[in-house]
Amino acid sequence: MNTHIVNISDMKFSNHAEDIIVTYSLGSCLGVTAYDPKIGIGAMVHCLLPSADSARDKARDNPFMFVNTGVAMMVRRLMDKGAVKSRLILKAAGGANMRGDTLFNTGLRNFEALEKLLGRNNVSLAAVDVGGTIPRTMFLHLNTGRVVVRSLGKEKEL
Amino acid sequence: MSEVVAIPSCAHKARALLEDPNADLSELGRIIEHDPGLTANLLKIVNASFFSGHRPMRTAHEAIVRLGTTQVLQFVISTGVAPSFVQKIEGYDLAPNMHLQHSVTVAMAAQELGTVLGLDVPDYTFTAGLLSGIGKQILGAYVQVDVHPILELAITEGLSFDQAEDSVLGINHAELGGLLLESWKLPVEIVNVVRYHLRPDEFEGESLALDLVHIGNVLAKMIGVGLGVDGLNYTPSRKVAARLKLTPELIDTVSANVVTSLGGVRDLFINCTEDSCTL
Repeated sequence: MNTHIVNISDMKFSNHAEDIIVTYSLGSCLGVTAYDPKIGIGAMVHCLLPSADSARDKARDNPFMFVNTGVAMMVRRLMDKGAVKSRLILKAAGGANMRGDTLFNTGLRNFEALEKLLGRNNVSLAAVDVGGTIPRTMFLHLNTGRVVVRSLGKEKEL
Repeated sequence: MSEVVAIPSCAHKARALLEDPNADLSELGRIIEHDPGLTANLLKIVNASFFSGHRPMRTAHEAIVRLGTTQVLQFVISTGVAPSFVQKIEGYDLAPNMHLQHSVTVAMAAQELGTVLGLDVPDYTFTAGLLSGIGKQILGAYVQVDVHPILELAITEGLSFDQAEDSVLGINHAELGGLLLESWKLPVEIVNVVRYHLRPDEFEGESLALDLVHIGNVLAKMIGVGLGVDGLNYTPSRKVAARLKLTPELIDTVSANVVTSLGGVRDLFINCTEDSCTL
């Protein structure tokens, strides 16, 4: 079994059933998984910001930093490996916000960017665990496509 | 509390460098400057009466230049840090390398914010940001605080985590960190930033470093590096945001720059998870 760790502004994919993809410490960042159950390939991206508007040069260097470019690029990579878009199961976790704040609502803006991207492509999310003020760790098990979110010592399946 | 000197750190790597006659001292400086434990202990020693006679030292770099010799640095590190005490911060569910990463991210975010805003950033801002969470280590490692009642109170009563700490413990980790550094006779500017970094509105006076570290801490928590169970459960100051004229676009730019810069110090974090630096 290999555990692939997704860092901030990073994406990992695998088609090995014994593998697990994980990302730690999701704060305002958004973790998004995509899994094609027919061929058993899946991926996870960890996006820092909603869009590249404030840092276009960085989107060129690393598209996975941003939700709008990162999630699209992840789906494209999976399709290059044989996944079919209509079969993909997408789930999202993270997008937390600071307590009682509206200026720093990066988490909310990240999730809105994801909804906008998916809406434009007629794709819907199968499950979400976003918002609040809690940190989250997200796991994708390649053998089944199971997604687990761990927060404050408790795990739940998405 | 002044006896508490064992702050999780990469002391082993630093000591190995000191024992190497061909060691690159600039690399040693880089390690110390990115390590809350080594920086705190270095400033504690250099500001003690033994070395007094000049103005207080506020940055690790200044202190290294002042001390100068390898022998003195070796003394500082071997007396100031006890790696056997280095441990996970149980109460806050923070692995030591996670706290190190979070501390460095706060410091880098504070510095970067000032740079992006075009401000004349005070030289001790990075140091103050690096040390801002030091109170958590005291509460977690020595008092072995049970974080669950604090967390539960924060959730049920809608309090920020530091307010809940006040209710349960009678003190919050920022205030405790300030008291510790005050007892170590660190410069008052740094003590004030650490003490008020969660509640800058309570500070009577003006401190750009405090404003920058307050927002730097917010950004580090949003970026998510080294988050503990307290998560994002803190309230940003609207007054500070207004004073610095922050916008979502500016916050995004700073966050992107910080994450990119973190790549340049990742080797320090990896060193701290090696067997040689068992935490």
